Amino acid sequence: MVNQMIASQFISLYDLCVLIREVVGDNFPEYIWVVAEIANIKENQNGHCYLELVDKNEERVIAQARATIWAYNYRSLSYKFEKATGETLKRGMKILFSAQVQYHEVYGLSLNIKDIDPTYSTGEMARKKRETVERLLRENLLELNKSLLLPLVPQRIAIISSPTAAGYGDFMTHLQENSYGYQFSLSLFQALMQGEEASFSIIAALQKIKKQIDLFDLVVIIRGGGSQIDLSCFDDYELSAEIARFPLPVVTGIGHERDDTVVDMVAHTKKKTPTAVAEFLISGVRLFETQIEELQNSVIRYSDRLLENSRFSLQENLNTLNHALKNILSHTFSTYQLLAIRFCLASRKCFSDHQNRLSLILQKVNAVLRQKFQEAKNKHLLLEQFMYHFNPMNLMKRGFSIARMNGNLLTSVKQAKSGQIITTQLLDGLILSKVEDKS
Amino acid sequence: MNKKDHISYKQALEELEKIVDEIENGEIDVDLLSEKVKRATVLSQICKSKLRKTQEELDKLLSEVEKEDNEQQETEPEPSS
Repeated sequence: MVNQMIASQFISLYDLCVLIREVVGDNFPEYIWVVAEIANIKENQNGHCYLELVDKNEERVIAQARATIWAYNYRSLSYKFEKATGETLKRGMKILFSAQVQYHEVYGLSLNIKDIDPTYSTGEMARKKRETVERLLRENLLELNKSLLLPLVPQRIAIISSPTAAGYGDFMTHLQENSYGYQFSLSLFQALMQGEEASFSIIAALQKIKKQIDLFDLVVIIRGGGSQIDLSCFDDYELSAEIARFPLPVVTGIGHERDDTVVDMVAHTKKKTPTAVAEFLISGVRLFETQIEELQNSVIRYSDRLLENSRFSLQENLNTLNHALKNILSHTFSTYQLLAIRFCLASRKCFSDHQNRLSLILQKVNAVLRQKFQEAKNKHLLLEQFMYHFNPMNLMKRGFSIARMNGNLLTSVKQAKSGQIITTQLLDGLILSKVEDKS
Repeated sequence: MNKKDHISYKQALEELEKIVDEIENGEIDVDLLSEKVKRATVLSQICKSKLRKTQEELDKLLSEVEKEDNEQQETEPEPSS
């Protein structure tokens, strides 16, 4: 039949296209639900949204079509979608939509989207996220960054953020005005924090930090609160893997309310807001300072205890020494006392022995003396008697007299001559007599 | 800036812990005690002031420490003899 048509008659392209339009218009219900992935999406000045939709079989495109969402519809649809999924409609996203199949003679086939069911995308995103998490888990990346030790003092901070983000300002103010007066060294590495380029941009910032890694203790990734949408860049596998493998602990403060992003899950520490991250850093420094203070207090406490102990043991030693000395002294004393007593006793005994001997001797001497004395006395008596008897006075009393001549004792008659004067001494005087004769 | 300020937080903490251990266990001679207590106070003061250096000082100090650390790391593996 076709051959016949070519051979016998033909129609214009326009006629053909009209025909196609009619066929299309007649053969499809007014609206049909379709699942497709957004390959591209653009919004023009008038607010109309133009999409490229694809269907893939393992990354290979097996179908492709254009679609439009007219401005009046797009505004309410995108609002509803964002509210439900926390995401904007964007490339790579799978959506379930109801559309009218249209054919235009000039523009060709196009799907006019009337409605989008966000729950399908939510489920689809959750599935993708789950797959990313499972992959990270399989590759042992999920806990890798968490296994790093937090720096002793998180003072040199590499910040990945956008300088215009509200959260960045809050973060800086909070850190710089901390009540303890801690100072932080803060270096900003600018990156896009939302949109399709965010993941790539953050990875680039991380690589920049990696080149001067020695200058930093910690990396923070912060993003202001406010917009709750467009967080899917933080579910990106490449970014999550980069963070997981990062040699420094990464702390996130991606202000959002919904479930943790994959980046939050692989990060060392996840905080809800940039301010909370600042608080975390300050408390980290505070912890160190407290540690130092406690150690110093311990030094003082233990020193006091040590000194007290030393003082106590010194006192103890002194007491012991005192006691020992007393012991020794009393022992010595008693020894000496004993000696003294013994000495006393001994000397007394010795003394009395000698005394006895002495008195014995004395008695003997006495006896001898008495005897001698008696003997002498007796002798003396005899002598006295003798003397008495021989005393001239006594002799004269008894009638003896002493005759002298010329002063000489007259002991012989021969001495006497006649006429000579003889002096005769009697007891009571002298008699002068003249010698007349001698016989 | 004093040369002694170059001690790292880790070194300071470890030294402090060592001092505390020594004193706690009574391993220390009472004669050396005041020296140790003085050292502990100095270490604590170094840390406390380092936590509060102005950013400029901090950057300078930290980069110097880094430099020293790096130099140390570079020279360490080669025995001088």
